[in-house]
Amino acid sequence: MARQGTSFREFIKGIPITVWLLALVVVPLGFTFVMSFYSSSGLMIDTRLTLLNYRRFFTDSLYPRILFKSMRLALLISMLSIAAAFPLAYLVSFKIRRGRNFLFMLCIIPLWVSYLVRIIAWRTILGNRGVINSALMAIGLIREPITVFLYNQFAIAITLTYICIPFVFIPLYTALEKIPRNLLDAANDLGANEVRTFVNVVLPLSLPGLITGFIFSFIIALGDYIIPLQLGGTEGIMFGNLVWSQFGFAFNWPFGAALGFILFVIAVVILGVTARFGTTEGGFLGE
Amino acid sequence: MSTENAIELRGVSKRFEEVTAVAEFNVEIRQGEFFSLLGPSGCGKTTTLRMIAGLEQPTEGEILLEGTDVSGTPAYRRNVNTVFQDYALFPHMSVRKNIYFPLKMKKVPLSEAAPRIERVLRLVNMEGFANRLPQQLSGGQRQRIALARSLVNEPAALLLDEPLGALDFKLRVAMQKVLKDIQRNVGITFIYVTHDQSEAMTMSDRIAVMKDGVTHQIDTPDRIYNNPATAFVASFIGDMNFLGGRVTENRGASCTLEIGKARVTASREVPLRAGEEALVCIRTERVQINPHREVANVLEATLERIVYRGTDYEATCRPAGAPEGAEVRAIIQAVAWDPQLRVGDRVQVAWSGEDVIVFPAAEAGDVIRYSGEAG
Repeated sequence: MARQGTSFREFIKGIPITVWLLALVVVPLGFTFVMSFYSSSGLMIDTRLTLLNYRRFFTDSLYPRILFKSMRLALLISMLSIAAAFPLAYLVSFKIRRGRNFLFMLCIIPLWVSYLVRIIAWRTILGNRGVINSALMAIGLIREPITVFLYNQFAIAITLTYICIPFVFIPLYTALEKIPRNLLDAANDLGANEVRTFVNVVLPLSLPGLITGFIFSFIIALGDYIIPLQLGGTEGIMFGNLVWSQFGFAFNWPFGAALGFILFVIAVVILGVTARFGTTEGGFLGE
Repeated sequence: MSTENAIELRGVSKRFEEVTAVAEFNVEIRQGEFFSLLGPSGCGKTTTLRMIAGLEQPTEGEILLEGTDVSGTPAYRRNVNTVFQDYALFPHMSVRKNIYFPLKMKKVPLSEAAPRIERVLRLVNMEGFANRLPQQLSGGQRQRIALARSLVNEPAALLLDEPLGALDFKLRVAMQKVLKDIQRNVGITFIYVTHDQSEAMTMSDRIAVMKDGVTHQIDTPDRIYNNPATAFVASFIGDMNFLGGRVTENRGASCTLEIGKARVTASREVPLRAGEEALVCIRTERVQINPHREVANVLEATLERIVYRGTDYEATCRPAGAPEGAEVRAIIQAVAWDPQLRVGDRVQVAWSGEDVIVFPAAEAGDVIRYSGEAG
């Protein structure tokens, strides 16, 4: 039984976070949610509630198909980002003694470069007269530039992976840093070489960081529409582009809101499912 | 095999850049021995233990496990296990999984491992805790699980790195008994690192006393206590009076010294010649006040301070004619205490010739001074 003074103080303490959440999360989402039940006629928005937008999503196979394609690509990008970031985080956290902070900064420095600049840079690398083609031509492997690098899903995957790596690296590195080093000594002492120590101790204990990194990269990759637009070509239309085009070109904000809300639900489901595995204490890898 | 040494160190040194952590360590540790590495923090005892475990490589010298040189053998292939200071239990594994870990690394199937796990759990008195997670256990319980995990593989030697350091006093004393009993039951060689001299004294068969990487003495507890090899050992173990003096006559089996104007006789061999400066040591509990029987050394003194400590009294006296600052402390059992004694009384402080230990005065710098009981 809390005394009245205490509960009042608790109430006061709760105000800032409540206001913050309401203003920045609940209210905008509520608007989107409500708008997804409106409809659009011409340039006007009809505020009578209807399920039309959701019916359109589920009846026209185009939308679920693009959503599925986007999720598959986002999953691939998450896996690639983890595959690239884990060895890096492991090396910096466990193998480097001097200059660790400097290396950490180097790993996250891409975040300080403009997103658009990095996209243009990848176009330069992958393009017809780009770095890869020039190099291949210079060593005589090809005569004509090959176009397989740009304007397809490959280009989206590689560029988004590059964008996502720091977002995977940071939570992974943090999780690795938190692992007590004497656990590694103990595993070593009890008969585990480095590989088995990694599998049995480091990996399970880095799981919270791994899950967080996965969520970050998956959600970034799923929602992005600029990279598909810039590098994806015709096969690069992703779900993010659909949402964006409803707001930007079609002026069908209610339908865009419905698509956006579906994306939101998917993100929440992923968060909910992965949160179960995100704990180190008796988590599933511990078994 | 049983006559073979469990562990042998031959000229083992460890340097970290310019710092020598361990210098020229030589020792033969017998099978089943309880061997302690004792010293203040930074003396190199943990580094020595880690070199035996294989977690550090010696800069020089060789380490033999059961007669085989293991230099270059990684820790995971050495048949020794360590109990770490803060237990190092895997937080994501249950007690059973923690204990199974070393067996799993040896590819022992779970069905075969289960009875062994039960056995070590029984040994450390933790049956019924197999499904708990480490964070659901108290410090003492974690300690027992760490011990069980290290014992389940039946290593040639168990290395313990201050295993009781994180426990409170009462629990520590209880765990000392548990450890000693387990060691007796399983008959495994224990190498025990501690900075607590009473812990080392009560548990060990032999103790290596270390300071700044140098091994000062390797011997049984009673010889270390009664015949310390250096002034550091004398000061680190037990409670000791230190007085600066000079040798006046050395007759081999006995020796006469002067401390200021006071004369002291030592009935031991003293490694000094007449005229050399000396550090004279007398155990505080060997000093008597107003002795009933005749003893070799009797000094007139003034009683300066009396501290009642429950089981005993600590009486600080200033011998007449001794240099400034020289004092002799006597620990007198409470039952033997003369209640008439008051501060300022003229008394006689006395001790026998066998109780006088003499070191060269140059070792005075090594003396660790502390008041009262440590820990």
